[in-house]
Amino acid sequence: MQLEYCLLLAAALFGIGIYGLVTSRNAVRVLMSIELLFNAVNLNLMGFSNFLDPAGIKGQVFTVFVITVAAAEAAVGLAIILAIYRNRETIDMEQFNLLKW
Amino acid sequence: MSHFFSQTIWLVPCYALIGAILALPWSPGIIRQTGPRPAGYINMIMTLTGFIHSLLAISDTWKMPPQYLSFNWLHTSSLTISLDLEITAVNIGALLLITGLNFAAQTYAIGYLEMDWGWARFFSLMALFEAGMCSLVLCNSLFFSYVVLEILTLGTYLLIGYWFNQSLVVTGARDAFLTKRVGDLVLLMGVVALLPLAGTWNYTELAAWAKTAHLDPTVANLLCLALIAGPLGKCAQMPLHLWLDEAMEGPMPATILRNTIIVSTGAWVLIKLQPVLALSPTTLGVMTTIGSLTAILAGLIAIAQIDIKRSLSYTVSAYMGLIFIAVGTGQTQVALNLLLTYAIAMSVLIMSIGGIVLNNISQDLTQYGGLWSRRPISGICYLVGAASLVAFPPLGGFWSLIEMASNLAPSYPFLFGVLLVVNGLTTFSVTREFTLIFGGKPKPMTVRSPEGLWAVVLPMTIMMGFALHVPILLSQWNLLPAWETLDLTVVSELIISTVVGGGLAAFIYLNDGITKPIQLQPKALQDFFAYDLYTAQIYKVTIVFVVGLVSQLIAWFDRFIVDGVVNLVGLATVFSGQGLKYNVSGQTQSYVLTIVLGIALLGIALCYPLISFLH
Repeated sequence: MQLEYCLLLAAALFGIGIYGLVTSRNAVRVLMSIELLFNAVNLNLMGFSNFLDPAGIKGQVFTVFVITVAAAEAAVGLAIILAIYRNRETIDMEQFNLLKW
Repeated sequence: MSHFFSQTIWLVPCYALIGAILALPWSPGIIRQTGPRPAGYINMIMTLTGFIHSLLAISDTWKMPPQYLSFNWLHTSSLTISLDLEITAVNIGALLLITGLNFAAQTYAIGYLEMDWGWARFFSLMALFEAGMCSLVLCNSLFFSYVVLEILTLGTYLLIGYWFNQSLVVTGARDAFLTKRVGDLVLLMGVVALLPLAGTWNYTELAAWAKTAHLDPTVANLLCLALIAGPLGKCAQMPLHLWLDEAMEGPMPATILRNTIIVSTGAWVLIKLQPVLALSPTTLGVMTTIGSLTAILAGLIAIAQIDIKRSLSYTVSAYMGLIFIAVGTGQTQVALNLLLTYAIAMSVLIMSIGGIVLNNISQDLTQYGGLWSRRPISGICYLVGAASLVAFPPLGGFWSLIEMASNLAPSYPFLFGVLLVVNGLTTFSVTREFTLIFGGKPKPMTVRSPEGLWAVVLPMTIMMGFALHVPILLSQWNLLPAWETLDLTVVSELIISTVVGGGLAAFIYLNDGITKPIQLQPKALQDFFAYDLYTAQIYKVTIVFVVGLVSQLIAWFDRFIVDGVVNLVGLATVFSGQGLKYNVSGQTQSYVLTIVLGIALLGIALCYPLISFLH
């Protein structure tokens, strides 16, 4: 168990999250991908906190904040999706292209 | 007071210029009520003033050393251009000739342009010509000679284009302007190139410089060839001779002035430049070659014409060719004499045929005949003019020509032969014209042909009187060659060529046994000369074609390549804007992808220098 593996795992998770964020057509899956990104960040924070700052563990405090904010963000995001769904009867990301040239 | 008139001789061009300006208010658009005639009268008074002034001045300068006047025209850092005037008996004599002939031509125009409304334009242009020629004769500076030559070129354009509603007039004026302009422009090259070499444009100083100058032969050749190009165009020499033929579309009184004096302006510059031209033997050779070719070919062309004005216009080219020969062989005095006798004789000839054309409408020689019994005055004037033009003793042309011939015969036998041939051809041509107009039987166009108005006949007879008096004047001025020094064989050969030419023409055209119109065998040869060696076609397929093609190419290049490159920049911007807007896909996710890619690339760019530390 090393810091590098931890970071690489977090980076891989971040990459998967980005992939899902960019390619998903379902808006809820986009939100889920964002959650993956947060989790990748949290893994990083935890890894650094455990390996580099075992005494202070400031990273763990940050992680708690991130989880809190992620929950709040998910709530707001789902509310936005619901608001859009009520107007447009769809959550397909490719239908939300009002700014197209 | 004794030199008052010669010191104020520079007023002579000013008189004419004032006349030119005063005539303009009688243009039909300005004074609408009274008709244009006062314009002519004012100009005649001004010309007469100039004539009298010159007459009074010539006695001041007679047998006196030349006087010089100089006005500063322009002074910049290292260049001073001064308007130098030279006052000698020769110059004032030329002024007399110019003002006198212009007065005659203007009187003639009073009669000839009786039915014309454009007097203001006509007379002010004639006055402009007079002013130009008087200043050309007076000025002693090559630079100002060039200035005046260009003004005269513009004047020629306007005067030939007098009746501009005729299409041939428009093309004729165009050709006259462009042809003379080309010569003048090459002359300008010579004038500009001369200043660094000689350091002056003053003719007197140029002559002094030329005596001691040591020029590289190539430089001298190029310089002198450029200097003769201007007179080449002005004097209607080959190959720049077509304009004079087409200039015959202009009004007849202007033709009098043009064919006698204006073509002589080039010769005047040439005579003035003779000391410089002598620096380059090649140029002298070119001059005599061009002069000989023009003289002989124009003599032949004149014979083949059926238009009476054009037949005389080629004789003008031929005589200017003789002047080229004279200057080319260093006989400036002979050239001046020839200009004098030629101008008077030619003016009588043109006035005579002008009177004929005025009352017979046609200019076609084949439509004429049998006018002698009804137009005796015109006939006699024509005869005197013709006889004074060629070597017919004892009239004026004879003396100039024998002087030239006796100078040529010992050292240039070939040129002497040319002179003989030209004299014979000219005699043939003027005799042919005389016999066709005055001899034979009346034809439909000439059945009723009254003598012209007094205003047409009077200047003609007065000029005839002058022509008759030229030998006496020459002997008074000691300009006649001494009879003892003349080679009598040369003289008799010249007379024989006159007699043969004139006799042959009279025999052919007065003989009813020979069918008219005469067909030469082969016909192609006759056409060759009748159509002026097809010069118009030659111009068209050579210089006009090349210039036209090049200008079309350049216009095409400008329109499509130069403009195209600039338009391409605009178009590229438009198309790139049109194309790149599709990057804004409207998909939030694609924006996110762009942001991520941007961050990733920025991160790579920032970290790139650190990659080497990884190991």
